[in-house]
Amino acid sequence: MIITRAPLRISFVGGGTDIKEFYEQYPGRVISSTIDKYVYTVVNHARLLDTLVVKYSETEIVQSLSDLKHGRFREALLQLQIPGNGLEIASFADLPSRTGLGSSSSFSVALLKALHAHLDKPIDKRTLAEHACTLEIDTLKEPIGKQDQYAASFGGINVFQFNPDGTVDVEPIFIDYKVRAQLEEHSLLFFTGISRDTKNVLGEQKLKMSEKFETYKQMSDSVLLFKEKLQAGDLKGMAEMLHEGWERKRSLANTISNSALDELYASAIAAGAWGGKVLGAGGGGCLFFIAPPEEHATILKGLEEKASAAGLSGYKKIEFDFSQSGTDILYNSSPYHA
Amino acid sequence: MRKYIDSFTEEVCIALKNAPAEEISKAINILQAVYERDGRIYIFGNGGSLAMATHWVSDFNKTVFSHNLSDHPRRFQAIRLPTTEEELSAWANDVGYDMVFAGPLQNYIQEADCVIAISSSGKSPNVIKAIELAKARHVPVIGLSGFDGGQLNVLADAKILIPTKPGAYTVVESVHHALMHLFTSYFQDYFDHLHARNEKRAT
Repeated sequence: MIITRAPLRISFVGGGTDIKEFYEQYPGRVISSTIDKYVYTVVNHARLLDTLVVKYSETEIVQSLSDLKHGRFREALLQLQIPGNGLEIASFADLPSRTGLGSSSSFSVALLKALHAHLDKPIDKRTLAEHACTLEIDTLKEPIGKQDQYAASFGGINVFQFNPDGTVDVEPIFIDYKVRAQLEEHSLLFFTGISRDTKNVLGEQKLKMSEKFETYKQMSDSVLLFKEKLQAGDLKGMAEMLHEGWERKRSLANTISNSALDELYASAIAAGAWGGKVLGAGGGGCLFFIAPPEEHATILKGLEEKASAAGLSGYKKIEFDFSQSGTDILYNSSPYHA
Repeated sequence: MRKYIDSFTEEVCIALKNAPAEEISKAINILQAVYERDGRIYIFGNGGSLAMATHWVSDFNKTVFSHNLSDHPRRFQAIRLPTTEEELSAWANDVGYDMVFAGPLQNYIQEADCVIAISSSGKSPNVIKAIELAKARHVPVIGLSGFDGGQLNVLADAKILIPTKPGAYTVVESVHHALMHLFTSYFQDYFDHLHARNEKRAT
């Protein structure tokens, strides 16, 4: 049996510039940090089983790989030429999907890591990230970017630069635990209770790419300044940049925000948050704020009232820490023979 | 005499001041990640470097948690290789001296782990053998070297090279010791912070 895990991430600024339509014309950039919430994959080699068993929110038991409904499981197994029969594969997660924390790509990365271990093939972080990108973007034609696959594979705080030739530069950002602790102390993360549909949001964004090109450029360039503010521990400056970034992002497509999100966001700012954003593609998911710790209680109360008035029963505060670890094998009962 | 003393201390001070901050940061990140995934840290080297490896194990396993020893449910798992003199002599006598680290490392190594290799020349064949094993498994390597860094500095992920003239063992080893204590201080402060924060969250 093999158990792997891949972290979720909070993307600070630059999200959206990691799609091909943009970075082929101008370098895209994203700065993000992984957090201590994970997607787990378990692969068990059950040699006497003549079917393939795949467990996620559903359970599929199939004779032939091509019958598998779940695209990522199916295509990952096909690409690695793993026949499937005699395998049990399952996925688990600390948080639900569609929260804007990059979980769908974390899932792909964790799965590919586990399948490589099953094949007795060690894989490096970059190859793993690229493999997940190929699986999701080229094979499954998902309208997504490359930031989440890289964030999950590498772990920690990084600036990713997506070059016009398709290569990706990974620059780890070094901050000591004191700055990280300060940032954690000031951070607030909430699941709005609105599960978003990324595809619609990203589809609309792609259509408007040429019209909004300048805005995308500003988003990409702002990553460099955000990095400096993070390295200097300038929390207020970072918060203000999150706010500006969010304002830019909402202007890209109508589906990125909605009145419920806007109201929640405005209430936190009115209660003293320095700045924040909706995480992920938009349309729902998680809200992230940087706010002075002494205002957290007031912000929390305001958000709870707004969420309850809007009937958002899934609304929840999420406790988290930033993390350094990327995608890892937690357990392998038949370790590498190399 | 005074001149001799001044000359040595100055040489060590300059070498210490020029220690590569970016690579040390990288090493701290590697160790942080290993702690998060509950991996192990293997430390080794020859002669004085082996003595330092043993010292480092003690600092990581106990000293960094000293202020709240019983309150850290997860601690570092640092291991000096080889763990016993018997293994060292068995590998050296039966297989060859170049396998005294790689041999025992193979017993333990898992992908969640990391390696700290210490070699002033960066050329010790037994150190390089072990590094090659770690690299093949994609296990991150923190390399502490001196002189021109040798093959260790080429292969390491965190390249902590103290550049000196060849043969300046005393200077290189002195700086390595100071840097080891930088790691000890950093993680002691970090775990003190973690403890204080967890206490605060619990109330």
